[in-house]
This record gives sequence, C-alpha cells and structure tokens, in this order.
Amino acid sequence: MSVMRLLTRRRPWYVRIEVLAVVALLTHLLVVWAIPYAIMAALSRAAPAEGRGPGVAYFPPMTDHTQRRVVMPSPDLLYATCSFDVRQQALRIQADPKLPGYWSIALYGANSDNFFVLNDRKAAGVPVDLVLIGPDTPEPTAVPAGARMVRAPGGRGLLLMRVLVGDYAAEHEAVEAARRTLRCTPLG
Amino acid sequence: MSVLSSPTAPVRWPTVLALYGLAIALGAGSAWLVVRSQLDRGGVSAGAWRTSTLAGSTHADLYTRAVVAVGALLALNREETVYYVATADSEGRPLRSRCRYRLSGPAPDARWWSVTAYAEDRFLFDAPGRRYSVNGRNAPMDAQGRFSFETGPTPPQEGEALASSSPAGPTPWLPTPGDRGLSFTLRLYNPAPELVANPASLAAPRIERLGACE
Repeated sequence: MSVMRLLTRRRPWYVRIEVLAVVALLTHLLVVWAIPYAIMAALSRAAPAEGRGPGVAYFPPMTDHTQRRVVMPSPDLLYATCSFDVRQQALRIQADPKLPGYWSIALYGANSDNFFVLNDRKAAGVPVDLVLIGPDTPEPTAVPAGARMVRAPGGRGLLLMRVLVGDYAAEHEAVEAARRTLRCTPLG
Repeated sequence: MSVLSSPTAPVRWPTVLALYGLAIALGAGSAWLVVRSQLDRGGVSAGAWRTSTLAGSTHADLYTRAVVAVGALLALNREETVYYVATADSEGRPLRSRCRYRLSGPAPDARWWSVTAYAEDRFLFDAPGRRYSVNGRNAPMDAQGRFSFETGPTPPQEGEALASSSPAGPTPWLPTPGDRGLSFTLRLYNPAPELVANPASLAAPRIERLGACE
C-alpha cells in the first residue's frame, strides 16, 4: 500500500486527527534532531574559500564584535579550525604550540558533540600527532610512529583549536606561530 | 468535517495536503520554539548563574544537543570547561545593557576564568577599546582573593571608581553599550574536580545592580 493511500484512506475523524498528531510529533522530533547537524553543516560552508573543505586548516582573525559565525565567541581565545571527513580516508592531525598558557584541540562530530579534547597539560610538551579515523574504517596500515589513533563516532565533523591570548598586540607573534603549527593532512 | 468522517466521499486533495502541511508546520514550529525557550534554562544553578551539565557531552539528549547547538555551539565538555550563564541579576531582575552592574566574588577555582558580556543575539557588544571580557589575568583581586568590576554603557564616574577601587587599582569597566538584552558568561577552563562533579557548588559571583537603571 502506498504512503499516499495510507494517509488518505477513509477513517473515522478521530483517527485522522491522531494520524495528523503523529505526523506533527514526528516532524517535531526530526527537526530537534536535525538542528545541530544543520548548524554544523552551515558552519563548515560559511568558512572562507581558503579554509573550506575537509583537511584544510583555517585561521580566523582574533575574535571581536564583528565575528558573527559562531554564537558566544570567546574574545580571549585565538582559534584555528579544520573540518574533516574520515569516512573514506584517515586524517593526520599535528600541532606543536609551544606556549606557557592554555591551548586545546577539540574534535566535534557532525551533531556538535565534543568527543575528544587534548590540552597543553595532557600533551605535557609532546607535539600533538593524532590519526583520526571513522567509526567503520579500518585502521590505516601505515600509521606514523608515535601517532595516537582516535576513532570518530561519525564520519564528518570539525576540529577546533583554542589558544589563550592575554594581550593579542603584545603576544601576537607567539600565539600566531603557535596556532599555525596545526596541520590536517589526509592519510593516503 | 465530511472529508474526515465520510468513508465514501472522494479525496479532497487540497484539504488533505493543507492538513498535513499544517501538521508538519506545527511540528517544525514547536521544535524551534521549544529549543529557543530552553536557552539558558535547565541544568543546575549557582546564584544568578546556570550551567548545563551536558553541554558538549556525547551523553547529551536530543533537546540538550539542539539547545547547545543554537545557544553555545562548539562548547567543550565540562571536564575541560564549565560555562555558567547569567541573564538576571542576583535579585532576579533581567539584565539590560543600559544598567550598571557590579560583579564580585571569589576567584573561581579553575586554571583560568573569564566573564564575557553578550548582547541578546549572543554576540559581543561593539565595545570601546575592544574590552569584551574580564578574566583571571586582568581582574584586580583584593587581599582576600576576591575580584570586583563594573559593567555599563559608560565608564564609572570618577568618584564611584575611586570609591569602589580595590588594592590592586580602580575597578575595571566592562562596556555594555546601548539598550539591549544582556547576558554574562563565566568560563572556567580546567575547573577544579569538585566543580566538574558538582557545578552547583560554585561560589557564585554576585551581580549587583547599581542605581535605578532608568
């Protein structure tokens, strides 16, 4: 029986009301579920051309009131981003921000969940070297020595690097150099 | 009524499509309204501040995930950072950018903390001097380890600033220009384990309205 016939078959009026209520409820749940995916997808698409596409690192300017891409931006942090798609290909993530203050590298799924975070304390002075793979993809045969494997819960998502900045004008050289150590490289 | 009750009447497609369209619009509209209505609500409270214990978490439920995506996208999980948001002062009055407030309290037990002012659209104010936040580095602390600073559309009057100065210097000012909705976000990076386990145990900064706020 086709969906149309199912929806339009003669039934008592109260059954029809119930069917409409179920349609409304399912739509409600679907929209609530889809909101994070839609916002994350829009965020990836909103990156400037030079920072768009899986595995491309993007270094936005220091946060100020003109930043309108992400709500509640922190004005004390310098960011770097890199969207990823590891459904077919692993991604190698490298960084070596030699800073005395806080920094972190966080990984978010396409549903906006923060499924992994590494900060300067956890790194303990060792350069970051991660290999990100998808939930169903086999581990790459040639994993770089010393690299740590991270399995993403989904195929796509976003990496966000945060670097704490006290006074950008005074610390400009150090913090810019630190965040630009980020590398996102697809592994063949 | 006949289209809904008669078993033999022909299908009136415009009516059927309108009804299903209405049901879909109702479902989508209610989803958006519910998510919007839950911004800065739920979770646990500490004084005038609220925090979601599931922000950024992979254990977040359907609604929490949607609310965080709309209101605080790319939040870190609470082991890394706890975010407290205040939309009302300590007396429960909604915050307005035209009003003057004094925020004070003990330095939060975290590796690094900051208080940022946001307009009702959840973006930064066009603040003079790009003064968007007060944080653990620039907040003057008194001998008891307490910070204090003021917010408002204009700098504190000279006399007020001197009167409220701390041993570390005059009270700093966090500009909130215009007459708009206002919220403060308190970020605690690498918070103490006790705060991660129980965010409601925060010694919450007070938000005291200064003057009548005409």
